[in-house]
Amino acid sequence: MTAVLLDAGPFEARRDGGEALYAGLRVRLDEGRMSLLEAPSGAGKSTLLRQVAGMVRAPGAERLLAGEPCPSTRLAAWRTRVTLLAQDAPMLPGSVEDNLRFPFALRSAGGREWPEGRTRELLAALLSDVPRERQVGTLSGGERHRLALIRGLLWDPPVLLADEPLSGLDPERAERCVQLLLEYAHRPGRAALVVLHEPGLANRADLRLRLRPSGLEQA
Amino acid sequence: MRPSFISLGPLDLVVAAGLVVAAAAISLALRLGLERRLAVASARTVVQLGLIGLILKRIFALDRPLPVIGLLAVMILLAGREAVGRSSRGYRGIYLDAWLAMTVSCLTVGGIVTQVVIGVTPWYTPQYLIPLLGMILGNSLNGISLSLDRLLDHLATRHAEVELRLAFGATRREALKEPLAAAVRTGMVPILNSMAAAGIVSLPGMMTGQILAGSPPMQAVAYQVVVMFMIAAATAIGAMLVAVVAARRLVGADGVLELARITGS
Repeated sequence: MTAVLLDAGPFEARRDGGEALYAGLRVRLDEGRMSLLEAPSGAGKSTLLRQVAGMVRAPGAERLLAGEPCPSTRLAAWRTRVTLLAQDAPMLPGSVEDNLRFPFALRSAGGREWPEGRTRELLAALLSDVPRERQVGTLSGGERHRLALIRGLLWDPPVLLADEPLSGLDPERAERCVQLLLEYAHRPGRAALVVLHEPGLANRADLRLRLRPSGLEQA
Repeated sequence: MRPSFISLGPLDLVVAAGLVVAAAAISLALRLGLERRLAVASARTVVQLGLIGLILKRIFALDRPLPVIGLLAVMILLAGREAVGRSSRGYRGIYLDAWLAMTVSCLTVGGIVTQVVIGVTPWYTPQYLIPLLGMILGNSLNGISLSLDRLLDHLATRHAEVELRLAFGATRREALKEPLAAAVRTGMVPILNSMAAAGIVSLPGMMTGQILAGSPPMQAVAYQVVVMFMIAAATAIGAMLVAVVAARRLVGADGVLELARITGS
């Protein structure tokens, strides 16, 4: 039997008009699994990921990681361990390397050592054609998304929440990215929740969760 | 002995007005269409300065602390409103924040300059307090409005970068470091420019005024240096304080950026 790694909720979200998108929703992620979050666009997938990651307030919701509750005043610590890879692969101005390194300079990193070996490995696998000193402003959309994924995998948090991480990638590269995400999620003490818009890759996930107004439903 | 300065009578002002009329005539001849605005601006100058002159005359004659404090309070209130009015974006509570920054920067810097550096006695002497605090306010206003505008613009247009840091567990302080630095830098640009150009490009207005009023040049320079430092300090304190207070309102202690609270564009 697998253990629940992340347990968070209840969450609710409303459209601008006030109509409920979902309510009383709990998210449970099993250790060692990559789950897919599926729903038609506009159903609140991004909002839910942001709520789970603690990027927005969710009054009344509790968040537990490996059974340990996170008080709402300690959201920064939660985000270091439940990290959101936001839509559109946002970047800081600077080089590819700057963008990979900045999390390790944060106080919450607690002096974690920079994983140089793993960096080389991931760059070679996903971004071999881009030198590290390249300014991110000159990257294509697909290159930015691959860089964002590398940053998430380097950070290696217990839970990754990825919002359309494969946008703009050709099928071959998308496949390689999914493979890396699966390898990451299948390790002990790890889990991933991913929104994908590529139908061909959906069956690669361990679990498919449909977002319904009443909660998550296993497909 | 020559008098230390030459008094101006009504006739002198009429002659000066003739210069503006000449400028308006040029505008008419060249069809620049500026004469109306020139007339309105000239009239405003006369009326506004005349009014403040009358108020100052009364307050100088009273020579009591309460009227001085009252006038300064009104000046701070108007300056805070003006600082917010110049920003294209806003949020609930922006006036309070601007007034707080204005009050703190003016009272600390103005207090030290008038009471310690110049050593005004009695402490409320309007001849010193009002012009000095006025200069602090005018410049602090500039710094506060530029800083506020830049901060809100940064948070509104580059929120993805701020949230990216937060997503990897940055504390509020870490996530706000760059927006705050950019805001304060922007707020300080005008005073840094005028400090660097002082005496080279132009003689600062206050120094010019003192020389016209008959002060020895080196005394005028000493006052001008004090005023420059005072303005720089007030601008820095105002720009920093308003940026920190505003940023903390928009990004909670839990590191949640509330973009929806920023209004306008």
